[in-house]
Amino acid sequence: MSSDAGPDSNSDASVDPSQDTGESAADQSSGDGPSSEERDEPLLSLSGVETYYGDSHVLEGVDLDVYEGEVVALMGRNGVGKTTTLRSVLQLTPPREGSVRYRGEELVGRDTHEVAARGLGWIPEDRRMFGQLTVEENVRVAVPDADDADAALELAFETFPDLRERREAKAGDLSGGQQQMLSIARGLVGDNDLLLVDEPSEGLAPLIVEAVAEALTEAASDTTMLLVEQNLPLALDVADRFYVLDHGTVVDEGDTDAVSAEGERLRRYLSA
Amino acid sequence: MVLAFALYPGVYALLADSGLSTEVVAVLPRIETLVVVLFFGLFAMSFDFISGYTGYLSFGHAAFYGTGAYVVALGANGKLPALGPETPFMLLLVLAGVAAAVLALAIGSVSFRLSGVYFAMITLGFSQVLYVFVRDWDFVSSAPRDGVAVTGTLEGFRIGVPGVDGLNVAIGQLTGDSIEGLFGFINLSPTEVSFYAIGAVVLVCYLAMQRLVHSPFGRTLIAIRENEERARAIGYNTYAYKLGAFVASGFFAGIAGALFVGFRRSVTPENGFYFLVAGDALLVSIIGGFGTLAGPLYGELFDASVREFLSKEGGGGGLLPYLRANVGDATLATELYNGLTVAEAIDTFLNGHAALYVGLLFVLFVLYVPNGLLGTARDRMDGTLAKAVPRRVRRWFDG
Repeated sequence: MSSDAGPDSNSDASVDPSQDTGESAADQSSGDGPSSEERDEPLLSLSGVETYYGDSHVLEGVDLDVYEGEVVALMGRNGVGKTTTLRSVLQLTPPREGSVRYRGEELVGRDTHEVAARGLGWIPEDRRMFGQLTVEENVRVAVPDADDADAALELAFETFPDLRERREAKAGDLSGGQQQMLSIARGLVGDNDLLLVDEPSEGLAPLIVEAVAEALTEAASDTTMLLVEQNLPLALDVADRFYVLDHGTVVDEGDTDAVSAEGERLRRYLSA
Repeated sequence: MVLAFALYPGVYALLADSGLSTEVVAVLPRIETLVVVLFFGLFAMSFDFISGYTGYLSFGHAAFYGTGAYVVALGANGKLPALGPETPFMLLLVLAGVAAAVLALAIGSVSFRLSGVYFAMITLGFSQVLYVFVRDWDFVSSAPRDGVAVTGTLEGFRIGVPGVDGLNVAIGQLTGDSIEGLFGFINLSPTEVSFYAIGAVVLVCYLAMQRLVHSPFGRTLIAIRENEERARAIGYNTYAYKLGAFVASGFFAGIAGALFVGFRRSVTPENGFYFLVAGDALLVSIIGGFGTLAGPLYGELFDASVREFLSKEGGGGGLLPYLRANVGDATLATELYNGLTVAEAIDTFLNGHAALYVGLLFVLFVLYVPNGLLGTARDRMDGTLAKAVPRRVRRWFDG
C-alpha cells in the first residue's frame, strides 16, 4: 500500500475540513470498511511496478491492491500513468520491475491472452472497436467460448437496448456513444472476475454518461473493478475506494465515502 | 458467379459463332485464359485469406505456390520418396497442399514473432531463399534454372475420384480429355474439360475458405486485423490464430500451385517461387478487393482479361490483331504526326505494352476504388452479392 507514497499527502493546510475529514490517507482507508490488514488476500496486487515506454519511465513504483467485490477508482491528471497501470496489469506493456499478482499468482512474464484467460477483462480507453465486424459479431467475439455467446448477446442488449436495434450495423459506423456502450458491453459479457475499465465516460454526452454509469453500477454489484476515470463525481459514485496517481506513483488513497468531488484533497491532484 | 463461370464456355462458343465473332474474340478472354484465372485466382484467394483477413502481408507467399507446383512435377517424375510416376494426381494434389502447409508452419512460426513490414520482409526473405535454392538444385532436373517439365507420364493428370474411371477426367492443354455428346448435345474440348475440372477443385477450396472465414475462427482473424492488442486482451492467443490461418492459407496456395502444373505440366523457379508471383497476387487482391476472399478471383479475371485484350498474343484475340485485321489499309497508312502513321502508332502504343496499361489501371484502382471491385460492390449494395442481388431482384418484382 502507498500511504507513505507522497511526501505531502493530506498535509496541505488548504484542505477544507467541512468537505474532507483531514484524516491521513492511511487513516481514511481504514475508516468504514475493514482495513487492508483485516481483509483476505487481495484479488489484484501491484507492488513496486515500474513500467517504461522505451526510455520514458512512466510508472515509478506503483503499489495498489484491489479486493474481491470492490470497485477501486484510479485517478490522476492526464499522463500520470493510469492507463499504463492497466496495460501493465494486462501485460500489454509489461513492467520492467515489480510484481503484479492476481489471486496470488504472478502475472509478470505471462502473455496477455494468458492473463485475460484468468478472468481479467478490459474496457479500453479508446473503445477499440473491431470496426468491420457488426455489433453482434463484436459481442460474440468477446466470448471465446461459443456456447456462451447467445447468453452474452442477450446480456449486452439488456444492458444497452440501443445496441439491439443496431445489431447488424458495423461497429465502425456507430456513434461515439454507441461505440462506448458496445465497448462496455463487450467487457461485461466476458465472464470476468476483474474488470479494468479505462475512462468510460471520456468524450460522451451527459445522457450517455448516465447510461454508462448505470451499467457500471449494475456491473459493480457482482464484479470487481479497477476503474480509471477523470469524471470525479462518476468515479466517486461508482467506486468504494480510490487511489490517486501522480508522476507515476500513488500519492493518495482512501475510501470514496471520506472525500467529495469538490474537496481540495482530490482536486489538487486532478486539476490542471 | 459460379453459374456465370459455368455458362461462360457455352456463351463464348455461341457468340464466337455469331455475326459478332471478330469483336467477341477480340474482347472476351479465351477459355484457356479462364483456366489460368481459376488456379491463379485460388492462389490469390489464399493470399487474401491471410493478408486480407489478418492484415499480415505475406510477401513470400510464392513459396507455397512453388512448393505445391514442384511437389506435383517431382511426384509425376517419380522423384518423391515412395511415390511412383503413376501416383494419382488427386493424391499429389493433397500432398502438395500438405507440403505447403508444413512449410507455412515452419515459416510462420518464425515470422509471426514479427509484425508489419518486418513480417512482410521476413516471409519475402524465406521465399527468395527457396527460389535461389530450387534454381540451383540439380535434383529437380538437369537444368534446374529452366525448371521442371513433367516427363514421367505422358497422360494428362486426372481430376476426380481416384480408382473410378468414370468419375475422372484428364486435364491439360494437350493431354486433357475431350467430351463429346454429353447429355446428347454438349461437346467439350480438352481446354474446356480442364476449365470445369479445375473449376470444381477451386470451388471446393473456395467454399472451405469461406466456411473458415464465416466461422468463429474467421471472426477472430478479423478481430486480430482490426485490433490485435484488444483481441489478445479478450483472451485469444493471436499467435496461434495467425499461425493457423497461415497454415490453412499455405495449404490452399499449394493446391493452386499443383493445379498450375496439372494444367501446364511444367514449372520454373520464376513462375513458381519468384517474389513477383506473390506480387501478382497482391495486385489482383487489391483490384478485386482486399479482405473479401472472392475478390481476388474477380481481380485476376479483370487483370487477365485486360492483359489479353491489350496483348499482341491471344490466338487472334486482343485489340492489336483486331485493329490490324479490321482497320483499312488507307487508315493504317494515314499520317498522324510528324511521319507517324496509324499503323505505327498502334504498334508503338499497344504492342507488348499490356503491363504498362495494367500498371496504370492499378494506380487508378488504388486511388479511386480502394476497396476493389468486390469490396466496392458490397459497399454499394449493402452486403454480399449473394444476399444483395436476390434482395434487389425481389424488390424489383414487388415494384
